[in-house]
Amino acid sequence: MQEFIEFTLGGIASGMIYAAIALSLVLIWRGTRVLNYSQGGMAMFTTYVAWLVIRHTGSYWAGFAAALASGLVLGALCERSVVRPTEGRSPLNSVIVTIGLLIFLEGLAGVIYGGQYRSFPAAYSLNGLKIGKFALGISPNDLFTAGAVLAAALALALVFRYTSAGLRLRATAFSPVVARLLGVRIGRVLTLGWALAGLFGALAGVLVTPSTFLYPNSMDSIFVLGFTAAVIGGLDSPGGAVAGGVLLGVVLSYAGGYLGNDLVLLYGLVVLALVLMVRPSGLFSAPRTRRV
Amino acid sequence: MTEPGGTALAVEEIVAGYGGGPVLDGVSISARPGTITAVLGANGAGKTTLLRTISGFVRPRHGRVLVGETNLARRRPEDIARAGVAHVPEGQGVITELTVEENLRLGALSRRDRAGRAEALSEAYRRFAVLAERRRRAAGTLSGGERQILVIARALMAAPRVLLLDEPSLGLAPRMVAQVMDLVRQLRDDTGLTVLLVEQNARSALSIADQGLVLNLGKVVAEDDAAALAADVGLRRHYLGF
Repeated sequence: MQEFIEFTLGGIASGMIYAAIALSLVLIWRGTRVLNYSQGGMAMFTTYVAWLVIRHTGSYWAGFAAALASGLVLGALCERSVVRPTEGRSPLNSVIVTIGLLIFLEGLAGVIYGGQYRSFPAAYSLNGLKIGKFALGISPNDLFTAGAVLAAALALALVFRYTSAGLRLRATAFSPVVARLLGVRIGRVLTLGWALAGLFGALAGVLVTPSTFLYPNSMDSIFVLGFTAAVIGGLDSPGGAVAGGVLLGVVLSYAGGYLGNDLVLLYGLVVLALVLMVRPSGLFSAPRTRRV
Repeated sequence: MTEPGGTALAVEEIVAGYGGGPVLDGVSISARPGTITAVLGANGAGKTTLLRTISGFVRPRHGRVLVGETNLARRRPEDIARAGVAHVPEGQGVITELTVEENLRLGALSRRDRAGRAEALSEAYRRFAVLAERRRRAAGTLSGGERQILVIARALMAAPRVLLLDEPSLGLAPRMVAQVMDLVRQLRDDTGLTVLLVEQNARSALSIADQGLVLNLGKVVAEDDAAALAADVGLRRHYLGF
């Protein structure tokens, strides 16, 4: 029983990281139908920014803020500079551009910071929490991680529902042609979508790196799992991204805990295959007919 | 060129198409403020392309589109919308995933004055009680006639100078068609809106229009007062089918 609770809570905690990556992918997919393969690279890069700021100021929170801010800027910058010119062409073009961006960012990080593994501090203690003698399998930092992603996702939901920018984002996602007819400058809306995606990626980066290490490829496997979570949830649904992340986190935690840790990535693929067999458009994506 | 009272919308010698030969081949229109101009003609005559060219989705190869004094030809659709041209496309274009109210709010987002946005919303609910009743519902739950009212109401939210209506009667029951036509006429009378009305249903379009023109194979083949067009037996038999 204790094991089960440990695995569940631990799974939710790591699932929130996948959720943050998944959200960043969904934000871009909804607006542009582009899968941003450079999302992990962007998150790695902003984590290096945080690392640099922490080293110079000694303040974790200054680094945390710097990561989020640079995520916003980097997202917007990538959209404007390299993704925008591929708009309106074959989807393959933008896929290749984002893969190129990934290679560029990872190369650039290697040039600037070197390839060695660096430790990255956590906001709170990484020691397991206990109630009496009962170990919960999560640390205060896990609680912070889950809380931070949840708060950010909630803030995003509020922005979507109650602000003009959110209405523009949703309208552009559902029907870019109608949005333009109504005077929505969708160029700006797409930039905003990429900026927000950069923010969520950056959040995932600073939250996950204490439990891995920081190096130019450090986000690659996290990105694969976040991508899996996004597809499980249905690439169109922000709520689905969070649910898909948590689901994947819990399943991988059970699999790792009960079956052994060696094949965790493979179990992720099994979950993905099962979901796609039952619901090809993802668990939480509303079935919809394509309009002409 | 300038007629008495000026022109709200002038299309001058537009040539436009989709890559092959031109769909519009030197089309000119001039619409006085506060009038309804019916654009008639068979399928493939270029009616929808004309509206898409005015609203910027098709780039004209030649010619000008003047709203007031400003030439809008070759500008982006969102900028043309912001310059006061509202385009209600064929097949309606409500965003079904958004609520009725969100659809309406979206229409007013290009307005700078926040007070104007709120006022436009209450004005829309005053005029269209059916939308007020369903304001929190997803627009996808509305009937065809209600959707047509929603897209027209949404277009009005931006306080446009020119309204482009593409086949508003398409797929509606005859009683709904009469209601929509009545609405367009009321809007002209109450707000002084300038309307370009594309219709297959020539008879009902001419019943509310001030003037009309007939397109055939991308050229204007007839242009006159609505009553004169409706009375022209030869024209009716050749192009209008009633």
